[in-house]
Amino acid sequence: MQPRRQSFIAVPTDPCSGSLPALAMADFSLRPRLGFKGAGTADWLAAQGLSLPPEPNQSVKDDQGRLIARLSWGEFLLLGDFAALQSAWSFETAPLCFPLPRLHSHAWIVISGDAAPKMMAKICGVDLRAHKFAQGRIAQTSVARLNAIVIADRIRGRLGFHLLSDISTSQYLWDCLCDAMLEFDGAPVVLEALAKESHGQTDAQG
Amino acid sequence: MTRLPAPWGKWIDRTKSLSFWFEGKSYPAHQGDTVASALLANGQSLIGRSFKYHRPRGSYSAAGWDANALVQAGSKPNLSADRLAVQDHLQVKALNYFGCLNRDWGRLVEKASRLLPAGFYYKTFFTPRIAWKFWEPVIRHMAGLGRVDLQAAHAYYDKEYLFADVAVIGAGPAGLAAALEAAKAGAEVMLIDEDQQIGGSLNWARGGDGEPMAKLAGWPRISLLEQASVQALFDDNWLEIVKGNRLYKLRAKSVVVATGCYQMPLVFRHNDLPGVMLGSAVQRLMRLWGVVPGRRAVVAAANEDGYAAALDLMDAGVQVEAIADLRAHRDAGPFAIEAGQRGLRILQGVTPYEAHENNNRLAGVSLAQIMGEGRCGPVFERIDCDLLAVCVGRIPATGLLSHAGAKFAHQAHMDLPTELPAHVFAAGSVNGCLSLDAAQKDGKRAGALAAKSAGFEAETPPAPLRDCEGVTHPWPIFAHPAGMEFVDLDEDVQIKDIVASMQDGYDHIQLLKRYSTSGMGPSQGKLFWPHVKRLMAKEKGVTPAEIGASTIRPPMGGETLGHLAGRGFEPVRLTAMHRRHLELGGVMMPAGAWMRPAYYGQDKNAIEKEVRAVREGVGLIDVSTLGGLDVRGPDAAAFLERLYTWTYAKLAVGRARYVLMCDQTGVVIDDGVAARLHDQHFYVTATTSGVDRVFRLMQWHNAQWRMNVDIAQVTSAYAAVNLAGPKAREVLAKAGTSVDISKEALPYLGVREGMVAGIQARILRIGFVGELGYEIHVPAQYGEALWDALMTAGQDFGIKPFGVEAQRILRLEKGHIIIGQDSDALTHPFEIGMDWAVKMDKPFFMGQAALRAHLEKAPTRKLVGFELENDQGPLPKECHLAIEDGEIAGRVTSVARSPALGRVIGLAFVPPGKAQAGSRFQIRVDGGSMVGARVTPVPFYDPKNQRQEM
Repeated sequence: MQPRRQSFIAVPTDPCSGSLPALAMADFSLRPRLGFKGAGTADWLAAQGLSLPPEPNQSVKDDQGRLIARLSWGEFLLLGDFAALQSAWSFETAPLCFPLPRLHSHAWIVISGDAAPKMMAKICGVDLRAHKFAQGRIAQTSVARLNAIVIADRIRGRLGFHLLSDISTSQYLWDCLCDAMLEFDGAPVVLEALAKESHGQTDAQG
Repeated sequence: MTRLPAPWGKWIDRTKSLSFWFEGKSYPAHQGDTVASALLANGQSLIGRSFKYHRPRGSYSAAGWDANALVQAGSKPNLSADRLAVQDHLQVKALNYFGCLNRDWGRLVEKASRLLPAGFYYKTFFTPRIAWKFWEPVIRHMAGLGRVDLQAAHAYYDKEYLFADVAVIGAGPAGLAAALEAAKAGAEVMLIDEDQQIGGSLNWARGGDGEPMAKLAGWPRISLLEQASVQALFDDNWLEIVKGNRLYKLRAKSVVVATGCYQMPLVFRHNDLPGVMLGSAVQRLMRLWGVVPGRRAVVAAANEDGYAAALDLMDAGVQVEAIADLRAHRDAGPFAIEAGQRGLRILQGVTPYEAHENNNRLAGVSLAQIMGEGRCGPVFERIDCDLLAVCVGRIPATGLLSHAGAKFAHQAHMDLPTELPAHVFAAGSVNGCLSLDAAQKDGKRAGALAAKSAGFEAETPPAPLRDCEGVTHPWPIFAHPAGMEFVDLDEDVQIKDIVASMQDGYDHIQLLKRYSTSGMGPSQGKLFWPHVKRLMAKEKGVTPAEIGASTIRPPMGGETLGHLAGRGFEPVRLTAMHRRHLELGGVMMPAGAWMRPAYYGQDKNAIEKEVRAVREGVGLIDVSTLGGLDVRGPDAAAFLERLYTWTYAKLAVGRARYVLMCDQTGVVIDDGVAARLHDQHFYVTATTSGVDRVFRLMQWHNAQWRMNVDIAQVTSAYAAVNLAGPKAREVLAKAGTSVDISKEALPYLGVREGMVAGIQARILRIGFVGELGYEIHVPAQYGEALWDALMTAGQDFGIKPFGVEAQRILRLEKGHIIIGQDSDALTHPFEIGMDWAVKMDKPFFMGQAALRAHLEKAPTRKLVGFELENDQGPLPKECHLAIEDGEIAGRVTSVARSPALGRVIGLAFVPPGKAQAGSRFQIRVDGGSMVGARVTPVPFYDPKNQRQEM
């Protein structure tokens, strides 16, 4: 029997699955992602045909809708199915470029709704309002006292964020978000509700 | 309920009626009323009792600037009735009375006031010394404020960050002008005001502009935060703001403080009676809530404010009996002229000298001619009245400027800001610009400067001249031979208390504050400190400016513990197998932020059974919390050589070796294992609590040494278990693995990567517990699947999950130390028998120089194994002391009853002379009795380490 991957987040069994609530949140933790880090990373990724954001704390989407986030000059977070990169990598072929197990180190939560910045202001000290934190911008900051990566994105045509944080605290973070979004009529939704316009990737074993 | 007709009462909605309870009696109110305005509208001027003498008190400022009107609302103590909005069915109680509010027998204390001077409790109740034990509860009972309801349900409080270029505090005329000017320059503005509606004095002062809100129309860059109080202005423009049950944190690029002024009290005998009020309070009550707080009034004036208040009272139909103007001659201001034209009786150079009480409120005022500073002639007239409106000066509300570190100068009998920190600006009456025109001009100036300071282009209008001369009376304090002239209403501090404190030697402002308690009450002396300074200056023969200022600290008021505490963020880390632990009855314990199973089930022998399972069969423990670090790159081995005490350059791929880390002083700070997975890749484990420190040190040293190496913290990325026991190999084989796990192919300290139960895994043949064991690390999201596979495979072998407690015993039986438990902040490797893990002949490693120095000195202690001479006696605990000739000789670091050995064993620091096997020492246990211990070689169990190498 194929072993089953398990998110650390216990999503309610019947999350709101009808029309999208004013503020919606889904657990994307089982979706593929990975990272690379090291002085030779940018060169190697570019050599693999990726268009990289020119500066740290910026992200871009490729023609498949996958998100390439540059966390520093030498560190990248790739949200989507980049399995080919994983196969191409080795110590010998990618000098000073090292893969990071982001699929397992970080939970991935997606938030959608125009009240998302206001909700985030209850748990994060960075100004995430749209006119200050444009689409594609990245904040590596503290969210509910956790180290977190926040990436601005349009999700289902609304303001939204990708939120990545240590997987071991993901249930705690999920609970904090559920609490914070209550006053905005927010609710958890099934992954598919927010994935429609997100990344066309398929699930993959990490 | 009597109300003035509209347009008086602009904040109440007369179409919406409410009712609330005060002291068990129901009162009607309107939507928009405060408890104080509604009580006064119903003729109830007595709201509470004073702190010390239980004197009757009512609303004094109608703005919550004082503690007179503190009440209890439900379970919430010490709320100002001046600001507490009426809600339907709200239950309100008065404070500080015994018996009933109208007849408080606690007022007997006033009769004994001569025996209770300032600082009486510092000297009266301490002789004999035991007396304080009797008096303290009595005094606390007498002096209590509100009642904390320990049974109250937890309320929901939370926090939120706000963002703005410019924060403007106070939405009066200056604040509004500042906000508009900053917004015009392009800045995002957060305008914060504590009132129900913005406008400040525009809402209630005679001649105010009635539609302040309209000024903000069409300015989307201005965000408004009403009914919000700024509690603190910290460094770097960090504002703490409270609104309802939420605490806001705002960091602005610049801040305009437009907090206005308080009105100054007048000090005379019985100046605290309900009915004696600040003039601004009277105007607020009439204009905002349509409430007339009296029918016959006297106004004490020393500026135009008094005449404006008198005219307002006349317009509202109140009989104004006289204006007692403290000045010998009045200025010809427009309100004074109008008052004269309307035939008001104006008495120049006259002050209220004594207020008279009837039925717990003001019944009349005796007037006297002022003969000099604080001196009066004989009373020449008593006027019956139920209201005395006091307008004798202004006190700039400089608290927040003080938080920010502003400097002040004494000018026109007020403390005005002279030096402000960068990016902080004062505007309006807090800056000495008191008239409407000057305040608005000053607001524009400050708004423009704040916008520029925040990086926007703005033309700065010229600063208006301060127009505060002649507004504040220099000495509105009139002593009476019979006393009871209150300088500080919060704490019932009289003139004589300030003088007596000075005479007792407390003549510095900071000392006097604490000794006299003036300024120590709930309002922190907002209204009262200028008078204290005047009195101190007079006693010392100096000017008030020379007295200096008392430190004004946050919060400004109204901050509750709920605001500070909620919503708390306390992250909890769970492993991938957490749900399984709960299902198995795991009793969870915190390990740092992690939750780990201490043991499973409710059986009182659960831990012993888990130990036996590992020794005799097979056990499974979740070790995901162990730190994990990927150290990769061409210099990975060289990097570890420098950081750890042992050597790794020649460690073969597929092998693991113990790592021990010291700091620069040679103190042991962490340990673990380095597994070489590739020539350029070490997977290094660290202790649960130590991994963050190790990671930081690695990053720091990597930045220093600039080696070709990369470090990644992968603790959370891997779930890990330790499958341990003589049957471990069989269980692993049954679970299925692609790795040859035979003894020959994967010996002790071998490392392999391969599949376990269909999951990519790192398999380390190591064991903390001293049995055949496999530490299996898998990607975290497969942790649960791995656990299930091994538990299923182990069923036929009697597998048992075991927790931290069993692991501690198992490792102790092997004599394995836990860094942080069996070591402390001074422990070096040679004290704990780690000589074998230290390669002093390496060119360099962290802490090497210090360890060389240690080697040249005689050791002072050794960690040894011990067993008790009498197992049936009291059991020592960790940190119990080893005693030698009555002196402390060491301490126990670990101790447990060993199920495998059937006796009590432990580790302890002892003097080197006592470290030989067979040496005896004493341990002092709980209760002070001594138990004998004998030094025993470690490992206690399987001394030849044969079982872990099976």
